[in-house]
Amino acid sequence: MVTVRLENVTKRFGKVVAVDNANLEIKDKEFMALLGPSGSGKSTLLYLIAGIYKPTQGRIYFDDMDVTELPPKERNIGLVFQNWALYPHMKVFDNIAFPLELKKESKEEIKKKVTEVAKMLKIDHLLERYPYQLSGGQQQRVAIARALVKEPGVLLLDEPLSNLDALLRMNVRAELKRLQKELGITAIYVTHDQAEALAMADKIAVIREGEILQVGTPDDVYAKPWCKFVGGFLGNPPMNFVESTVIRESGELLIGESRIPAPPKYAELLKKFDVSKVLLGFRPHDAEVIELKPNMPDPPMLVGEVFAAEPLGRETIVTVVLDDETYVKVFASKEQKFDVRDKVGIVLDLEKALLFDKKTELVLERAFEKKEFS
Amino acid sequence: MKKYSNLFQLSFFLTPALVIIIVFYLLPLVLTVYMSFTPIRNWNTERYLSQFIGSYNYYRIYHMVKYDPIFRQVMINTIIFVLITLIVNVFGGLLISLATYFINEKSSSTLRLVWLLPRMSPIAVYSLVWYYFFHGSEIGTLNSLLLKLGIIDKPIVLGQGVIPWGPWSIIVFINGLVGVSFGMIVFSSALSHIPRELVIAARVDGATNWSISRKILIPMIRWHILYVFTWQLLSLITSYAHTFLLIEWGLVNRDYGTTLSLYVFLTAFGRGEQDQGLAAAAATILAIIGTVLGFLTLKILKFERMIAKPRGDI
Amino acid sequence: MLTDVEVRSKKTEVAITIAILMASIPLFLAFSLLVLSSFSKEMMTNLSLESFRFTIENWINVLQGKLAFTGGIRQNILKYTFNTALVALGVAGVVTLISALSGYALSRMNFRGRKFLLMFLLMLHAFPGVALIVGVYLLYRLSLPSSPSLVTTFSFMYVIVARAALEVPMATWLMKGFFDSIPWEIEWSAIVDGASRIRVWRKILLPLIKPGIAAILLFGFLAGWQDLIYVRTFLVEPTLATYIEANLEAEYSHMPLIAAAGTLYLLPTIIFFLTSQKLLLETHSGGIKG
Ligand SMILES: Nc1ncnc2c1ncn2[C@@H]1O[C@H](COP(=O)(O)OP(=O)(O)OP(=O)(O)O)[C@@H](O)[C@H]1O
Ligand SMILES: [Mg+2]
Repeated sequence: MVTVRLENVTKRFGKVVAVDNANLEIKDKEFMALLGPSGSGKSTLLYLIAGIYKPTQGRIYFDDMDVTELPPKERNIGLVFQNWALYPHMKVFDNIAFPLELKKESKEEIKKKVTEVAKMLKIDHLLERYPYQLSGGQQQRVAIARALVKEPGVLLLDEPLSNLDALLRMNVRAELKRLQKELGITAIYVTHDQAEALAMADKIAVIREGEILQVGTPDDVYAKPWCKFVGGFLGNPPMNFVESTVIRESGELLIGESRIPAPPKYAELLKKFDVSKVLLGFRPHDAEVIELKPNMPDPPMLVGEVFAAEPLGRETIVTVVLDDETYVKVFASKEQKFDVRDKVGIVLDLEKALLFDKKTELVLERAFEKKEFS
Repeated sequence: MKKYSNLFQLSFFLTPALVIIIVFYLLPLVLTVYMSFTPIRNWNTERYLSQFIGSYNYYRIYHMVKYDPIFRQVMINTIIFVLITLIVNVFGGLLISLATYFINEKSSSTLRLVWLLPRMSPIAVYSLVWYYFFHGSEIGTLNSLLLKLGIIDKPIVLGQGVIPWGPWSIIVFINGLVGVSFGMIVFSSALSHIPRELVIAARVDGATNWSISRKILIPMIRWHILYVFTWQLLSLITSYAHTFLLIEWGLVNRDYGTTLSLYVFLTAFGRGEQDQGLAAAAATILAIIGTVLGFLTLKILKFERMIAKPRGDI
Repeated sequence: MLTDVEVRSKKTEVAITIAILMASIPLFLAFSLLVLSSFSKEMMTNLSLESFRFTIENWINVLQGKLAFTGGIRQNILKYTFNTALVALGVAGVVTLISALSGYALSRMNFRGRKFLLMFLLMLHAFPGVALIVGVYLLYRLSLPSSPSLVTTFSFMYVIVARAALEVPMATWLMKGFFDSIPWEIEWSAIVDGASRIRVWRKILLPLIKPGIAAILLFGFLAGWQDLIYVRTFLVEPTLATYIEANLEAEYSHMPLIAAAGTLYLLPTIIFFLTSQKLLLETHSGGIKG
């Protein structure tokens, strides 16, 4: 129902820049996740959209209306806090009814709407209880019900699942996503859990130190990170980074003693620009560990020694230490057996591997675009 | 062995406090009750302390309640004073703490500090300040203010002339200010412990200061309101220090400004004829009232529940 | 810390601030007129600026102990100030020492009657003071030493301890609160290493609750400093409080002099106001939490 747009929004607290020149658009009915580590400014960004904070600079639009100066109550938003902020002295019913009471709606109307939203969230049998008589998951539903009952244009959620245990979190995740789609509501969701963002969101905005680094679909952000930080923050285990030297003549990468061809999509770029130090990035799933057999023709690969092997049931994570002391993690099938100290080779899926500029840590094509590289 | 050393350590920590309590609370209480059965006057202990006159002093009080107009006035003063001041204290404290809750931190703590002044000033200075303020001549601040505004054309002697509400309003005002700060401190500290998210969530939903106060803040500090209410009731019944000088200095009319506890104090220590036997009897009655009220307060407020057991078994 | 919605009308906030300021005017006015008058030839309390003629004569006279109507008799105001300070410091010391001991026991030691003692202390705190003072005075009369040379010393000691006794129940609760806030693990580790409770208290906990001790010291000092009733009843020597009580009846022309004495007496309060606001608010939020 509402498109939210941020234009050059900056928020400073004294000297701390909590949000730095953010530009972001959240389309109507879209589920946007704001993802970043602790202290990166996610909550601040959300509170700016809610109107709890006022931007130091920049404007915020809901559809085409400038809401920068508008107090929160006039923005028609629903907000769910991390600790849910339920009123401890009110029963569940009164908690949910509170926003409607403030709008001075009639008693019957309130009752109807509260019952409806409670049914939707499956808490209609809890309406006569006090918050302290509820489990964490139930409290969380009440908080969401309270945010939804006034039929907001935008639903804002600040880490609503982080107080739940792991199993419950998985279930609520799915439900929340379905609910958002059913209601067709624009949702902005703050989280520091990359798996949550990948699972739930239509789009993810990755934030670090107040700066929005990348915005894109989960697939995009996962497969084509714009910088080392994004690649390293998403995925579990995260992307591997290996320092390498470019050999321009042959279009190869030199990593310790090993030489491998540069990923084909970079061939042109590497010819055109003069760059010598790069970071080779690959996901643990985009490589294979093989045993080194004497007198076998070597495929191009990285060489190292097994540091640890952790069986996960279906697969095994193998940590390999390369000759230059870098550690990389690669998935192997459970049939493969590895012992510590085994000499192994790592064969990359070069189509999926990425190169980052060493100094700016941007993926190469962007580094060249911005002309920022070493 | 362990038991013995535990007992030793416990007594190391508790003996001083227990001695103080016994010497300055329990013993005096016994002495007061004892005195109330003697005809002691003018602190003439040699002559009167060993005479026993039974419940005569209590009978005198009973008689005074029935027939003595001055004492009856004291009772009326006490009731009026306690009721009005109590309301002023609780509502004033609530009003200030709520109001300062909604303004920025810096000005609110400064403002709250100003309201602590009455509680912290030396009693003599505090009395002095209001002595000038309510003075019955042109130098009285209130009088000169009213003169300047043209509301009156000659100074009014509020504390002596406007009977009975003049003296009453002065003692209510002066003690009210002291009590307001108590409520203010308790309420402000309670409010500061309410998670701010609750208020912000309400704001997002469109709540005004008024509805936040009424629907969220006040219900959440109910216990504290009850606490201030009962505690202030108790302390108003027994307070007299802030009124004492104003009466001695003649700012407030003696007959209409004296409350029960001040009456007891003046009867025992005042100028002229002192009658400690009578004072002791009245003090005993006050002590009984205080104990019963205090006990009820603790029960109502369920203070016991706030006392946690120490951890561990050492 | 996030305190409130930033995008909101500043108008109400300003209105509220102004309203409280208006309500504080009498308080503010009354106190500042006293201070101003002490520097003026005539009282300023009539709110007219013409009466203000700056002088420090009042202060000089007060400090020299010259009160016109007592003729040649000088009142040694410095001595009175010293007496007041002595009582205040004494009360602060006694209250702090006793409550640091009992607060520890009530916070950390489990013994039969602990709960009762805590409740009992609260009752004592609320106990009618006037019902006590009659008995406390009789006790004073009965224990007064016979040799006149000892009377002054005795009366000082008595007033200090008696006044301190009034604050001990509250101070114990406050101290208990400070001890409660120290994690148990710190104490256990010392006990496991073989320290006695007394040693733990002295060497580990006391240093940790220094701010609390400072708060109680201040609390006790102000209680002793502001007292009128006890010093006028028990102390044979005059203090600032009894000086003001006795000399108010000076004629109009000497009123600024009393104002100066009052301001002098108010000085420590003002100093603590300006320097230790946090500490003050801490002690006055008194014993109860949450
Ligand atoms: N009211 C404030 N005053 C001063 N600094 C603040 C304030 N709020 C946030 N900050 C600072 O701004 C930065 C961003 O904070 P924010 O709360 O938005 O982080 P976050 O990404 O939500 O972190 P978390 O995951 O821990 O909740 C932090 O460095 C924080 O210390
Ligand atoms: Mg946050």
